[in-house]
Amino acid sequence: MSSRRSSRSRQSSGSSRISDDQISDLVTRLQHLIPELRRRRSDKVSASTVLQETCNYIRNLHREVDDLSDRLSELLATTDDNSAEAAIIRSLLNY
Amino acid sequence: MASADKPINTDVPEKDVFTLHFLQSLSNLRRQNTFNSPEKTNDRVKKIKKAAYVSMARAAGGTNRLWSRALLRRAAKENSKVVRFPRRKKRVTCLRRRRSNRRDPVEEEEAERLRNLVPGGGGMETSKLMEETAHYIKCLSMQVKVMQCLVDGLAPK
Repeated sequence: MSSRRSSRSRQSSGSSRISDDQISDLVTRLQHLIPELRRRRSDKVSASTVLQETCNYIRNLHREVDDLSDRLSELLATTDDNSAEAAIIRSLLNY
Repeated sequence: MASADKPINTDVPEKDVFTLHFLQSLSNLRRQNTFNSPEKTNDRVKKIKKAAYVSMARAAGGTNRLWSRALLRRAAKENSKVVRFPRRKKRVTCLRRRRSNRRDPVEEEEAERLRNLVPGGGGMETSKLMEETAHYIKCLSMQVKVMQCLVDGLAPK
């Protein structure tokens, strides 16, 4: 049994499935996913900053979905079927 | 060293999976004549937004993720459809040990805010929440890309 003790006492939990290592890995992964923090990759960013920026990022994405839904609603109502099909094909091929 | 660390997978499907699901949802809406009727614009927008989230949840793996299950369950409740989920072998640990006591209070406060943003987050333990968040963020940004491409394609030149 590893006797690695962190400053916070680790609870012996059979039900805990994710280790501390994996958690810091997750924090790093989240950091890489968020554009704000990707630039600061070299600096050490605290976990709570990562969580904070994550919340902001998710809110931004929700807002973008709202905006795009708005625009899609307008566009889909006004384009006729032919140009809609052409546009859809174009967007599928557009990577 | 922890003995059996379950590898955490946050891979998401390719963009065309999301596109396909979203276009299917949109064509369903079209069949219901959503776009031609002189309906109130708000209703139309709400339907499109809902189609976006539901198709994203389906594309991302449907019932295999806690957040997508929660999203689909919420959507089905709005339609008051009966949703059947296949029986999972493992019991979903949303009731046991909701919070991890070893996280410090500042992180827990932020995690609480995150719980309100991620679907189904309320029942998740903090570490699980972060895994789900990573997946959710990837899927959300994929969905945004799909919708942006569609808007670009439809916009008059």
